[in-house]
Amino acid sequence: MNLDQILLFRIAGLMCLGLIVANFIGAKRLGYAASLVQAEMIVRQIFYVHCGYIVMIITGLAILCLGWPELLLADGMGRVVSGFFGIFWGTRVVVQLTYYDKKLRAKERGWDLFFLGVFLALAIVFILGAL
Amino acid sequence: MKELLELGLQVSGWLLVLLCIGSIWIPKVLGWKEKVVSLTPLMRELFWTYSLYIWASHIFFAVMALTQTDWFLSGSPAAASLAGFICLWWSVRLYLQFFGFDFDEVGDCLANKVAKHLLTLLFIGLVFVFGMTVAWNLGWLGNGVAL
Repeated sequence: MNLDQILLFRIAGLMCLGLIVANFIGAKRLGYAASLVQAEMIVRQIFYVHCGYIVMIITGLAILCLGWPELLLADGMGRVVSGFFGIFWGTRVVVQLTYYDKKLRAKERGWDLFFLGVFLALAIVFILGAL
Repeated sequence: MKELLELGLQVSGWLLVLLCIGSIWIPKVLGWKEKVVSLTPLMRELFWTYSLYIWASHIFFAVMALTQTDWFLSGSPAAASLAGFICLWWSVRLYLQFFGFDFDEVGDCLANKVAKHLLTLLFIGLVFVFGMTVAWNLGWLGNGVAL
């Protein structure tokens, strides 16, 4: 068993926990609720449901990484899951760089770079796990 | 029982493929583009990004169900855990279908009604199949593989 890789998955799990906490702080800081007040009910519901599912998948990943990181290396399937999350976080970097509002990113440059670093690190850990 | 679960996972996989293909039209049918105009740019970006990630997760579930059927029924803790996660995922969606979403703003035409009922049946089926897969992996179903 690759102990370095296990350690990296555990660190990734902690990063995922941090992202879950940041998600709730970000929702307040960026005024999700106020912005959604003007939107139609169905948009509000879809937005919150999708937020919930994103939190759910990251929580599941954090539990897996912290509790049973060896499963991600155990067999072919573990590597498939690891590869999926490598793509998951890799595309998140691309989305942030190419799609998100550049003015807001510039205004919050510190957080922008911080989260880019986190997403990139997660992408690298899971892609390495898949190889 | 194992043969039935294999069939169930294959059918679930193909139904998820259909769901993913059908999902491409959901934003247009429900007028998402027009409805998110009132949001701030960041919220619009988050809305579309989250939607895309949820869609990608469904593709992942479909690919897993179709290509890793033997693994899903291998009796391993990992298989039970992943099947359990997918079962929980669709259970939440089923709950929201009945008690979460307010469908008043969705058009009341026949196509929308049929789509809503088909989706409800799909969610029930997915919860059942992945729930049974968990039970199989935990050795609760007759000759199922005991851990």
